[in-house]
Amino acid sequence: MPAETHVERSPMDRQQVFDLIRDRLSDILEVEPSSINEGDSFTDDLEADSLALIELAEALEEELGERSVGFRIEDEDLEDIKTVRDAVDYVLARL
Amino acid sequence: MLPIAVDAMGGDNAPGEIVEGARRAVTEAGAPVVLVGRPDDLAGLRGDLDLIEASQVIGMDADPGSSVRTMKDSSLVRAAEAVRDGKAAAMVSAGNTGATMASALLRMGRIKGVSRPAIATPIPVPGATPTVLLDAGANAECQPAWLVQFAQMGAVFARERYGVEAPRVGLLSIGEESSKGSPLVKETHALLADPAALAVSGARFLGNVEGRDIMTDEVDVVVTDGFTGNVALKTLEGGMRALVRSVLDALGATPVADEALAALMPLYATLDPDQHGGAMLLGVDGVCIISHGSSSATAIVNAVRVAREMVEAGVVERLRAAVAPR
Repeated sequence: MPAETHVERSPMDRQQVFDLIRDRLSDILEVEPSSINEGDSFTDDLEADSLALIELAEALEEELGERSVGFRIEDEDLEDIKTVRDAVDYVLARL
Repeated sequence: MLPIAVDAMGGDNAPGEIVEGARRAVTEAGAPVVLVGRPDDLAGLRGDLDLIEASQVIGMDADPGSSVRTMKDSSLVRAAEAVRDGKAAAMVSAGNTGATMASALLRMGRIKGVSRPAIATPIPVPGATPTVLLDAGANAECQPAWLVQFAQMGAVFARERYGVEAPRVGLLSIGEESSKGSPLVKETHALLADPAALAVSGARFLGNVEGRDIMTDEVDVVVTDGFTGNVALKTLEGGMRALVRSVLDALGATPVADEALAALMPLYATLDPDQHGGAMLLGVDGVCIISHGSSSATAIVNAVRVAREMVEAGVVERLRAAVAPR
């Protein structure tokens, strides 16, 4: 349940971060979560456009903002986030 | 009903024409209106209209995505939030089109099941109901499944906006034969040819249509990717403008000018984009009307009227049903 992530304050591990990103991406891109892999490129494999990545960034900021106050994905960093793995690494480094 | 949120700061003629249009809309369009914008800029203009304060303005040439993320107190973002938060029934803006789309998408969210929102623009057809062209510029690159959704949503819009009971949907291409067109067009054609594709929306797929068909009564909804749609839209606008100018020039030198111009005025009114109430962003979870950048007060009145009609028709719920997975 997404709501539990707001309540649960224990540190998120890599798998939890990946699951969160995959869950939000599947909503945004209207694809099955199982079709999203950590090595996928946002543009080449998932065909996500720039607005979809901004949707993802906003969703993650909303979800993670309560866990890590002030959590934000900088716009200039978005350009360097090419794969799902990049996004997982970015989030883990800032939680 | 809840008020229509009008972005008072967006557009080439903002805030003067926008606010005047909003004030007129209360009586002429029969809808309550709330302005969204900078209090100081609107103090002497807004009369007794309510105001949602916003301290920032997204420029007409600003990058849509980053401006919406960095200017959270902008009139566009606050207008979209008003709809999301149940303070407004719909939003209207003549501002930056990309930022309007981004604001609506990021704040209202998408209708569940919609891959990408699309801009549906009415194209005037002399003597008949306008043709709905989509996507007119929201998505430069598209996938076949997205175009099928555009067809479904465009059909709903044509029915609710213009009362077309069984909209005829055409796929924009370079020839009527299904073998003609880009890979995107060919793949989309195959998907739309399945009768199930448009069954819920009650529409009928005509096959491919060409650019010359858009301003005819042969088709009600024309579907294409946002790049092609925007090129087609701007080409038609430019062509019509050049035609009007050349007709006026030619008539001006003749003794029958006054009589001829009087006879042409009804036709000119049909082609005037200010009379058509702007485009609607289909696929977001709320009513968002995008008026063109050079909107006059009259254009805003008509945009508010369309917003009210789309809210009263429950068009978002009808779109939700049309794109629901089966």
